Amino acid sequence: MSARLKFVLACCSAAWPCDKPPGPLATTILKPMEENSSVLPTDGNAVGLRAPAPVNGQSRDRRKASVAIALVIPLAFLLFAQWPLRSWLAAYSRDANNIAQIVFALYAAVAITAASRSKAHLAFVGYRTLVQRKVTVVWRPWVRLVCVGPWAAFMLWTALPQMVESIRVMEKFGEGYTPGYFLMRVALVVLAVLVFVNAAGDVYFETRRHRQSKA
Amino acid sequence: MSGPFATAGLWMLVVLAVLIIGTGLPVWVLLIGTASLFAAGGILVGAMDWGVLNAIASRTLGLLDQDLLQALPLFVFIGVLLQRLPVADALFLSLASVFGRTGAGTSIAAFGVGTLVAPMNGSVASSSALLARLVAPRLGRIDAAAATALISASATIGVVVPPSLVLILLGDTMLRAHTEASNLPDYVLGTTRIINTQDVFHAALLPAATVLMLWLAVAWWQGRKFKSQQTAAPVSRFQLALALVVTCATLALFVGVFVGEIFAVEAAATGGVLLVCASVATRALKWTQWRSVLADTLSLSGALLALLVGATTFSLVFRLWGTDTWITNTLLASPLSPLVTSALVLLLVAMCAWVLDAFEVIFVIIPIIAPPLIARLGDAQQTAVLLLLVLQLSFLIPPMGYAVMMARAKSGLVNTSMWSTLQALLPYIAVQCAVTAMVFAMPWTVHQFDTAAEAIAAPISAQDLEQQMREMSNPGSPPEAKNP
Repeated sequence: MSARLKFVLACCSAAWPCDKPPGPLATTILKPMEENSSVLPTDGNAVGLRAPAPVNGQSRDRRKASVAIALVIPLAFLLFAQWPLRSWLAAYSRDANNIAQIVFALYAAVAITAASRSKAHLAFVGYRTLVQRKVTVVWRPWVRLVCVGPWAAFMLWTALPQMVESIRVMEKFGEGYTPGYFLMRVALVVLAVLVFVNAAGDVYFETRRHRQSKA
Repeated sequence: MSGPFATAGLWMLVVLAVLIIGTGLPVWVLLIGTASLFAAGGILVGAMDWGVLNAIASRTLGLLDQDLLQALPLFVFIGVLLQRLPVADALFLSLASVFGRTGAGTSIAAFGVGTLVAPMNGSVASSSALLARLVAPRLGRIDAAAATALISASATIGVVVPPSLVLILLGDTMLRAHTEASNLPDYVLGTTRIINTQDVFHAALLPAATVLMLWLAVAWWQGRKFKSQQTAAPVSRFQLALALVVTCATLALFVGVFVGEIFAVEAAATGGVLLVCASVATRALKWTQWRSVLADTLSLSGALLALLVGATTFSLVFRLWGTDTWITNTLLASPLSPLVTSALVLLLVAMCAWVLDAFEVIFVIIPIIAPPLIARLGDAQQTAVLLLLVLQLSFLIPPMGYAVMMARAKSGLVNTSMWSTLQALLPYIAVQCAVTAMVFAMPWTVHQFDTAAEAIAAPISAQDLEQQMREMSNPGSPPEAKNP
């Protein structure tokens, strides 16, 4: 092995030794934050993973489970049904697909905010940079609101009139003319509203919590 | 767009990278924040029109309207469910018992579980979590470095074995990329058609099978060194039967997808429905466990969907600056030979995949570089398979390879030095490099199943074809009744 390769490997080993906390090199990775909350040890030795997410409580789990039961299970059964409907019955396959599409759109509209509430989004983790230390708990919700607030507002500005018009004419799917395409547009608006309300709500509650803790 | 603003998209990537590392905020939030910032800048300097940004809503609606994405929550659901069901456990014990005589039963069983579960699991993260929970405790008697390498390699199998989520999403991305490439001046589509997810499955089959066979040989070879320590745990008849049923069901779904009898989304749904029915029938999970499964499914799939929404907005603004055209023109005008240029682009993808997850690479990087790469290589299926193999390779290279990091962080195995981990991984990496080089040098390896698949997939009679042509030429006329 060349001396150069040995040098590179030595550098890597130094950055990621077996019995020390991870060095900066080992932390350059993106991870779903929630993974460590249930599976990983929380002693800080888990490489490149964020500290466990706050405990959500059973009530939030229950709400999420209810949404998922109402949407994931029907989605699975509708998509499963497509195959026999198409291959054996040779009918209603497109209708099943279109209904599944509506269920999926509503699911997606809710799931993004559910992931935010669970702090499950992918983020760079591992060590706290200078900026990360500055962007404290109080400021993080503000930054999130600045990032997604205008986007959500713009989405509402463009999607809301389309949704109203779509409901007015009871828009149908282009393929198969199954009724209900307007629900897809409703889902888009719900997605934007939930994202905006969640970001704004985070700002309100975090600021209030910070004030209370100061007092 | 050209001129001074054409490279603005590259600055978007730089700003995004700095913000991701610097702030630790969720990536999807930063994707949208960076895109919003640059969109506002573009409007201010007159580089883009306000009205064209209305496309953000229609593009996001397009995501909700996409058939393939319906598979996403299903794969997450199956992955989360498998972690709590005794299915993988039964598979592992049965395989270890069957291959016990080879002297490397545990290693082969670990690899076998990865292979059988990966297509249902969908992502490297899910496979890693499952293998770390299930297999790692049983590999305690094997050298920790070899065990880490085995888990890492097994976790990446889902990248190339259909109908996994990575393959489905890459197939969809390649469809768009191929469409864009067909409009490039240097690329002639000829008699071929735009590829779809099914074509990517067919193209990936032979290289994936080669990788699997060679990796299995490596696992056996490494496992035999610890022959005396590998004792098969007792396996019940129920577990054997369960393992047999799961293996048959997985293979049946795989064959169904391959021959075009069922779509990948339907295969995922079938897997999910079978698991739900079996779990309910055998009362394998309590209500609290179901609640946890469903809540995790909603959160994890929401994280992936958010990333898609963010990447959609980001890529729109990126394109509005004209940076995609600039990159394409730069690559097409490269003074280097097409093969060298392609190799360099693949190296760039490998470097990105080394620090990013598969989903960021598929949603952000590949849509930008794939069209010129297809034009340079002249073969969309070869490009797709090369991208898959490169992704898989990057996940295996320590210290930052995704699968290696996950295996080290989650398996609970004794942490070994980087050098010994790399030594154990080297045979797997060498195999992966060899297969990648083979596909790069011999494009015919990805076309072995083209004809067979087309013959099986969609036979169309001359009569039907004639009728379709007639309807296309005169759409107003009523369709003729079909002859029996």
